[in-house]
Amino acid sequence: MVLVLALGDLHIPHRAPDLPAKFKSMLVPGKIQHIICTGNLCIKEVHDYLKTICSDLHITRGEYDEETRYPETKTLTIGQFKLGLCHGHQVIPWGDLDSLAMLQRQLDVDILVTGHTHQFTAYKHEGGVVINPGSATGAHSSITLDVNPSFVLMDIDGLRVVVYVYELIDGEVKVDKIDFKKTTTTTS
Amino acid sequence: MIADGGEDEEKWLAAGIAGLQQNAFYMHRALDSNNLRDALKFSAQMLSELRTSKLSPQKYYQLYMRAFDELRKLEMFFKEEARRGCSIIDLYELVQHAGNILPRLYLLCTVGSVYIKSKEAPAKDVLKDLVEMCRGIQNPVRGLFLRSYLSQVSRDKLPDIGSEYEGDADTVNDAVEFVLQNFTEMNKLWVRMQHQVGLNIYGLCYTACESFILLADPELRLAIGLSGLQGPAREKDRREKERSELRDLVISVGKNLHVLSQIEGVDLDMYKETVLPRVLEQVVNCKDDIAQYYLMDCIIQVFPDEYHLQTLEILLDAFPQLQPSVDIKTVLSRLMERLSNYAASSAEVLPEFLQVGAFAKLNNAIGKVIEAQVDMPVFGAVTLYSSLLTFILHVHPERLDYADQVLGACVKKLSTEGKLEDNKATKQIVALLSAPLEKYNDIVTVLKLSNYPRMMEYLDNETNKVMATVIIQSIMKNNTHISTADKVESLFELIKGLIKDLDGTLNDEVDEDDFNEEQNSVARLIQMLHNDDPEEMFKVICTMRKHILTGGPRRLPFTIPPLVFSSLKDVVAWASLARQLQGPDENPFGEESTTPKKIFQHLNQTIETLYGVPAPELALRLYLQCAEAANDCELEPVAYEFFTQAYILYEEEISDSRAQVTAMHLIIGTLQRMHVFGVENRDTLTHKATGYSAKLLKKPDQCRAVYACSHLFWVDDQDNMKDGERGTGLQNEILVLLCLKRALRIANAAQQMSNAARGSTGSVTLFVEILNKYLYFFEKANPQITVATIQSLIELITTEMQSDSSTSDSAADAFFSSTLRYIQFQKQKGGAVGEKYEPIKA
Amino acid sequence: MNYLLGAFKPACNVSIAFADGKSRKQVPLKKENGQTVMVPLFQSQENIVGKISVEPFQGKKIEHNGVKVELLGQIEMYFDRGNFYDFTSLVRELDVPGEIYERKTYPFEFSTVEMPYETYNGVNVRLRYVLKVTISRGYGGSIVEYQDFVVRNYASPPSINNSIKMEVGIEDCLHIEFEYNKSKYHLKDVIIGKIYFLLVRIKIKNMDLEIRRRESTGAGANTHVETETLAKFELMDGAPVRGESIPIRLFLSPYELTPTHRNINNKFSVKYYLNLVLVDEEDRRYFKQQEITIYRLQETS
Repeated sequence: MVLVLALGDLHIPHRAPDLPAKFKSMLVPGKIQHIICTGNLCIKEVHDYLKTICSDLHITRGEYDEETRYPETKTLTIGQFKLGLCHGHQVIPWGDLDSLAMLQRQLDVDILVTGHTHQFTAYKHEGGVVINPGSATGAHSSITLDVNPSFVLMDIDGLRVVVYVYELIDGEVKVDKIDFKKTTTTTS
Repeated sequence: MIADGGEDEEKWLAAGIAGLQQNAFYMHRALDSNNLRDALKFSAQMLSELRTSKLSPQKYYQLYMRAFDELRKLEMFFKEEARRGCSIIDLYELVQHAGNILPRLYLLCTVGSVYIKSKEAPAKDVLKDLVEMCRGIQNPVRGLFLRSYLSQVSRDKLPDIGSEYEGDADTVNDAVEFVLQNFTEMNKLWVRMQHQVGLNIYGLCYTACESFILLADPELRLAIGLSGLQGPAREKDRREKERSELRDLVISVGKNLHVLSQIEGVDLDMYKETVLPRVLEQVVNCKDDIAQYYLMDCIIQVFPDEYHLQTLEILLDAFPQLQPSVDIKTVLSRLMERLSNYAASSAEVLPEFLQVGAFAKLNNAIGKVIEAQVDMPVFGAVTLYSSLLTFILHVHPERLDYADQVLGACVKKLSTEGKLEDNKATKQIVALLSAPLEKYNDIVTVLKLSNYPRMMEYLDNETNKVMATVIIQSIMKNNTHISTADKVESLFELIKGLIKDLDGTLNDEVDEDDFNEEQNSVARLIQMLHNDDPEEMFKVICTMRKHILTGGPRRLPFTIPPLVFSSLKDVVAWASLARQLQGPDENPFGEESTTPKKIFQHLNQTIETLYGVPAPELALRLYLQCAEAANDCELEPVAYEFFTQAYILYEEEISDSRAQVTAMHLIIGTLQRMHVFGVENRDTLTHKATGYSAKLLKKPDQCRAVYACSHLFWVDDQDNMKDGERGTGLQNEILVLLCLKRALRIANAAQQMSNAARGSTGSVTLFVEILNKYLYFFEKANPQITVATIQSLIELITTEMQSDSSTSDSAADAFFSSTLRYIQFQKQKGGAVGEKYEPIKA
Repeated sequence: MNYLLGAFKPACNVSIAFADGKSRKQVPLKKENGQTVMVPLFQSQENIVGKISVEPFQGKKIEHNGVKVELLGQIEMYFDRGNFYDFTSLVRELDVPGEIYERKTYPFEFSTVEMPYETYNGVNVRLRYVLKVTISRGYGGSIVEYQDFVVRNYASPPSINNSIKMEVGIEDCLHIEFEYNKSKYHLKDVIIGKIYFLLVRIKIKNMDLEIRRRESTGAGANTHVETETLAKFELMDGAPVRGESIPIRLFLSPYELTPTHRNINNKFSVKYYLNLVLVDEEDRRYFKQQEITIYRLQETS
């Protein structure tokens, strides 16, 4: 069983002062094995903070990231799953599932995690999943009005992944669960 | 002779322990055979080891502890003896026959303890005798240890109220008297360590005596040359060290105060009438700074808060009488700290504070101390004020006037000093200024303190910034809502050290990381300043903007984005307000409401300031954000203006190829979402975007940007369009195809280039990407995209892949296979989609 | 002289027994040869009553010129050893000249004997009481037998017993005031007092209280003075500062003291002194000696 935290679009401090305190109290060191972050942290302090939760940190670059060394896309394999990571501003139209599916095929991954829209979404698509963890800070977005802070925790166990989405609605954390089973292993 | 070698000291200690153990052995043997005489003889010899002067207090302590353990056994024996009928009074006399005083007194205390237990004499009489007899030891170290022993053995035998040793009425007085006396004597000895030289010379005890001078009768006068009473400075240090060693050991003088505090019968009255005055008398009269500091601190620590509160005046009166070198501020601060905590412990005690007028007394005392101690560094004064302020915050949180009064007093003191260079003092000021923040959890309350900003003035720039950061952190931590323009104004005035360069000096030396951190905290702060009422929020924004724009090029990249986003949020708020007022279908912004326009106007000017930084990439992003917001507000000209600005920046300022690629993604992505534009504006912007795309530096980037532009001509949801303002469906369908074809051409060119430069791959990927785009629009039912075109593209790719086998690209292979798999998948879906895909052969 | 008799076999056993020998208190007495024997204890004005029995050895007879018993109070000076000065001499004739064939017992009695001086064993002088039985014989020397006994005289507490209080010092250096609660102490008494430091400018290391006995014998040019320190009792350890007051409590019982003897028969005196000694760090001693009177208090038990 592996826990993967997926989050992005924090936009600290441009659009939000910090992660919600309730999230911070949940994200304690030692529980999570990997963090994947779609980008827009935007400053080093946030990077350092994430490092304290888990040292295995994977980040792609958002358009507001001051750190230029983050790659545009990244793939990694966790257990039986191949994960792809991309901020998403490069995929036009933004947030468009079919366009994201193309990126998923391009990266040849089971799970594609992207951001940019600040809107949590999770689609099962063809043989895989496309996830957008939303904005962990609930940062203002011109694409989504009234953004709720959210992030995603993936529990990867064998051929199964359970996606938990944590969303802060009116000060309360709501959890949702999406189950996904992989039928075949990818050819690659 | 002088025991400065630690090695020698170890040796002496070892010898002492050996001697002690040997005699203890004989003592045990005598005890086992009930030989009292021998037991006393050997115990006295054993205790004689404690007569040494060669050991430092710490080493002496080790010796003492061993003797202590042995004495416990002896005490058990005495108890047994007493039980067997041996007269304890006789025993009490018997031990006094010992010729050497130190063993004699240790034995006396030991028997005395048994004596009290036997209750053959009132405890008070025995105690009185013991404490009196101990005067015989005038050597500080030995005396302290002996009296500590006395204190130890008598602790559980004080004739306290409710104790089994309680005698007639008022014996608690005797208990107190006893402890006080022992305390006084111990303190005298301890203080004396400082002023006597040559502890170590005592080692020469009992060498040949020359009795050449008679102690004269009054008439006989003999002059004796006086040798120096004070040792050199090195001596002084050593003595101070030894004293502190003693203080840290169990032997400490303060133990007695602790014992006093434990006496049940010491109630407030007794404390007030007897204990405190007596202790203070000793403290004041000993005139020793170390002891005074230590004992005042002890008093404060060991007695209950309630007592302090009720005797505040007596206690405070002692402070100005202490030696000038005593660190009064620390002690007084601790007192206030204790009282503060006491006040915080329960609301019920607060009336007591009011009743005794604690604040006035403390305030008065601090004034006196500062006045009396002319040499007190500013740091000290600030510490005192800081503690007093903490006190007020705990005890009189509602009395902002008190707090302001203290700040005022502090400002007054500082005004005589000029700007502070003293590091410690500034630290204290930071603490002082932080206290109200921590207490009220609310900068808004703090902003009411008129002397607060004046205090900030006395900080050097660096500390001023630190303080400003502290203020911001407090706001962040407490989630303070600062929601009106005037409060924001005061706040920015307070933290101006972070907002702009003070004194017009450029702080080039400032560490970049520190600077970033500061400015990021300002950026965070901007997020916190919020009002749900759009009207008021607009004022808040204007206030912030006014200050932020003074920040200079180094700060603007940090502070402009949060300001912009705050403004954009406000615009959204206006929009939703307008929708509520006027219903969803009408244009939310009539002529009468000009505020959003004004905001956009401000935004435009605000972002423009980034030119001077320069920060074109950031500015471009912000313009696009604004354009999108204007789109949401249906303000076409405004949106167009922002786009124009973005394009100008793109053309003139952004030269890095990677930055160009990202900028193009953002431009296309944003433009794709715009619905406010009429045909003309839209065409202009779209064409420019496509043009820029085709001019990117690298072919693959060109290709990708161009096929991305295809989306600019295609809108799924026709309802989102302004009726008739877009080109007809057919036109758009064709334009999409044209884009894709253009992308294909570029991909071909790229392919040829890569063939020319052998080894470079990646172009096949472009073909696969384009194939995917074809499939996209095919699925979206663009009639211009046909099965044939798709089929030929698949074949092209297949051919390319086969011909390119030498440099096989596994990523492209995978991409292509998954694309084909997708086609397969869609076919299997059946229904309309399946039917559509059916003809494609993969 | 009787020791010459030792060469011969003694002709008889002479024993001296006191009438109340069983009930009378016995005290130790150190003999010349160093041995300690237990002897009866008397005081002045007591009746000394007893029996003397003479028992010739089997088959022997003793011819004598008379039997007598003497009660002697003697002072012996060691520089003049063997030469006793009898300050008391009482005699009782027990028998007229004759012959003794078998055990014969003579009762004797000295009534209300005046024994003004106490038994004393000093350095240079000895004062003793003895019963001396003499069986006078014309030839071969007389048979003499001795029985020591001890005399102790008791006094009642003195009606005037002032404290000893004195301020002494070295100017600008050390001023002290000491006080002993009495000037006269009985043998089991306790010396209570205090030393008060008025001025201290030297570094004192310690302070002792000594009990010294001064025995002077002879007179005029032949006076011998012998001083012994019987007790060395540490009162204070360390250097006091001005204003300190150090308690004194010295039990006299552990020390072998005698009462003060003043000019005993113009032969000797025994006087006691308290010597207060202060030692400074350079081992200089400062002392002040004060005479005290020691007396024997009638024990109440």
